[in-house]
Amino acid sequence: MAGKRQLMTLTVNGDDYEMLVSPRQTLLDVIRDQVGLTGTKEGCTTGSCGVCTINNDRGEAVLSCLTPALEWQGKSITTIEGLEVNGKLDALQNAFLDYGAVQCGFCTPGVLMSAKAVINAFDHPGEEDINDGMAGVLCRCTGHIKVKEAIRNVADSSNETQRERRDDGQ
Amino acid sequence: MLLPEHEFSKPASLRDSLTELAEAGGEVKLLAGGTDVVFNMRGRLFRPDVLLSIRDLPELQEVEQLADGAVSLGAGCRLSELERHALLKGYPGLIAGLRAVASRHVRNMATLGGNLNLDTRCWYANQTAEWRAAKGPCLKTGMEVCHAIKSADICVALNASDIAPALLALDASVVLASLNGERTVKLADYYTDDGVQHTVRRPDEIMTRVLLPKNSDRMAYIKETARKGNDFAYATIAASADGHGNQCSRVRIVLGSLTTRPALLLKTAAVLVEHGLDDTTIKAAVGEVRDELGALTNLYTPAAYKGRIARALVREALQQLREQ
Ligand SMILES: Cc1cc2nc3c(=O)[nH]c(=O)nc-3n(C[C@H](O)[C@H](O)[C@H](O)COP(=O)(O)OP(=O)(O)OC[C@H]3O[C@@H](n4cnc5c(N)ncnc54)[C@H](O)[C@@H]3O)c2cc1C
Ligand code: FES
Ligand code: FES
Repeated sequence: MAGKRQLMTLTVNGDDYEMLVSPRQTLLDVIRDQVGLTGTKEGCTTGSCGVCTINNDRGEAVLSCLTPALEWQGKSITTIEGLEVNGKLDALQNAFLDYGAVQCGFCTPGVLMSAKAVINAFDHPGEEDINDGMAGVLCRCTGHIKVKEAIRNVADSSNETQRERRDDGQ
Repeated sequence: MLLPEHEFSKPASLRDSLTELAEAGGEVKLLAGGTDVVFNMRGRLFRPDVLLSIRDLPELQEVEQLADGAVSLGAGCRLSELERHALLKGYPGLIAGLRAVASRHVRNMATLGGNLNLDTRCWYANQTAEWRAAKGPCLKTGMEVCHAIKSADICVALNASDIAPALLALDASVVLASLNGERTVKLADYYTDDGVQHTVRRPDEIMTRVLLPKNSDRMAYIKETARKGNDFAYATIAASADGHGNQCSRVRIVLGSLTTRPALLLKTAAVLVEHGLDDTTIKAAVGEVRDELGALTNLYTPAAYKGRIARALVREALQQLREQ
């Protein structure tokens, strides 16, 4: 039985998309193949690696590979492409550059969206909060130490001007 | 890889969902957080005709304190919401169970009802479809043979839920709704010994709520696993008791991830209620564990290891209870 395609709307990084979507597509498939944003990566497709991580409308990290796209009808999500605003990198992206928290870069979109969720959830994340937020995403080359240092740096810049300076890429 | 062919349906109310479930021609799979359903559809273990999404049903989202002191938890509540819910502050053992599941990412999607109805897992069945095809089908995939335990006549796949042991230790019940009304089933009577039909839920029913009775005075919860994040358990234990020091009553000890039905150790608990939590009694109780667990079924880890870890976890949990 061929499942009926359904018309769905999805808000991605603030832009509305209207698309015909098959029940067979996951949210990851739709983001990459239909919306055309390929920053979100496909790794294991079974929930183990976290490279497909996006943020839901509450700014939480979720796995786009483990959820049917049609489940997201009418919802709003943020992908890695949404971190950069008006040509300015997010504070986390700048910190990742400063700390060398990137090597091959394949995990980086998922790592950044997981880190963003930690920053969204806590004013002052502790060591445990960062570990908890990052345990679901794996990096095969850089390791997790520099990533954590970069997140800690942004988290500690609780002083707004410092965060803004980072946002300016200084 | 695309998911297998199916229709996707997302009714707006519980009533509409139950009607669709009752009137469906083919196989309907309920979809909550999807973290198990999509996983199993990718592995082609699930090939439903219809996915019926119940994640956002308003009737499944409430957490409330009932008049008799019990707490009612909506089956559609996400694990990460329950972890920090004010009404669960007094249940550290349950919070430990909630937090033991997978990763933050998965818990932001996964629901309580999905966890309690998590499909059983097996080293054979949970491979890719191609891997399974090389060896042929099993009890779970349509043949009268088990590749995990040659002599098994029913499916011996494991119940891997990390939350079920905690809720069993708290003597929780679940509410099942159908078009004919609601029924309440003790979680202790909810699971079966058959890995294929591993709960008593009927196909026309949706789990709507979980009822937590009066809290226990003390509770311990331990999950033993390879890595702290994102791994299924080698074994879990949840133990609860009333009373202080060596003196104890209402003892409930549950081992998870070792058997098809999470193991509620009634005999072991009875030894403790009679003699208390002193070292000698704990030792005697630990001696009962292996017998009471019964046949160790699916062998993710060697049977001897399972026996050892079961005893070690019971000892550790009882010592923790005594110190609380
Ligand atoms: C990488 C990874 C790691 C994991 N690690 C763990 C772990 O450590 N511990 C653990 O316990 N689990 C783990 N899981 C399994 C799973 O993610 C969780 O058990 C989760 O809680 C399932 O909830 P869900 O809402 O996503 O369920 P779904 O996938 O939506 O559903 C699971 C099953 O329950 C049924 N169901 C859902 N809701 C209801 C309802 N209200 N009434 C009746 N039936 C219902 C569905 O039909 C389905 O058969 C892991 C999964 C992944 C992908
Ligand atoms: S691709 Fe989603 S978790 Fe690996
Ligand atoms: S940078 Fe290569 S996997 Fe993380």
